[in-house]
Amino acid sequence: MPYYSKSEDWLHHSSLLLAARPTTTRISTNYHLSPARRTPKDATPEQIAEDEKKGKRGHLVITTFDPKSGASLKYKTSKAQEVGRLVQMLGNLAGRAAGVVAEEGTKKDEDVEMAEVGGEKREGGEGSGVATPVVQQQQQQQPQQGGGGGGKGKKKKGKR
Amino acid sequence: MSKPLSQDEFFTALTALFTTQKQTQKGTILLTQKRFTYDESAKETPEQEQQDDDQDPLASLSTPLPPAPILIRATNSKSKEHRKEGKKVKLSTLVQPDDIDAFYARYADVCKAGMSGLKPRDRTKRKAKEKARRKMKAQA
Repeated sequence: MPYYSKSEDWLHHSSLLLAARPTTTRISTNYHLSPARRTPKDATPEQIAEDEKKGKRGHLVITTFDPKSGASLKYKTSKAQEVGRLVQMLGNLAGRAAGVVAEEGTKKDEDVEMAEVGGEKREGGEGSGVATPVVQQQQQQQPQQGGGGGGKGKKKKGKR
Repeated sequence: MSKPLSQDEFFTALTALFTTQKQTQKGTILLTQKRFTYDESAKETPEQEQQDDDQDPLASLSTPLPPAPILIRATNSKSKEHRKEGKKVKLSTLVQPDDIDAFYARYADVCKAGMSGLKPRDRTKRKAKEKARRKMKAQA
């Protein structure tokens, strides 16, 4: 269950998952709101101002989940300015799920796959010399991060 | 599950959901979207599913998907006790492939207005910079 740090990464991997399993993949948007913290009596004005800013205690988690493969891709934010962009992404993915803009998606996939393969080669080159433990770590991390999604990516690379 | 609402009804109900959450200052709103494939004939049997797994995972990439509506759900994710009291709200709507753009434009507006608990853009740094610039100009 990885949380992506960039919404673009989330979008990209979600679109891959959606392309692989268009009928079962669902996207959830979860908006939480919890009441603002009570300010302590001995708080300085600065602290109070900070708390007011922090008083906006909502956050948004978007999850792409495919029950069939168990892949779950997440992105979390608490920034208001991202909402519009995220909903736009949801619309983009909805279009793909509905079978409207499928062609565009596959094109994009190919491009990034090439980049990924390139990146792997570089990793291998470094790892073969000295830093074997680092490579091992990376290999361990990959299945954790990707879940089902990671497995899917590997299959693709193998085919090419 | 209640019947899918029309888009207008869905948006009014969703706005109401956000408003009640704003008033209580707490709670969770869960929105879900997926491809709507509730069709007995199109439903996958276990056998087919197995075939699907055996198949090349890229097969679905080469064959274009037939257009299907998108199912959108919204709930205030209240637990069982609340469900008995009738406080649990569940909404759903179907969006046809042609309507997706129009729907999501409205959806974005409703979400932006409803999710007011998120942090606004931090403009303090920019303001500080502008102040500094003005000072520099004044000095020069």
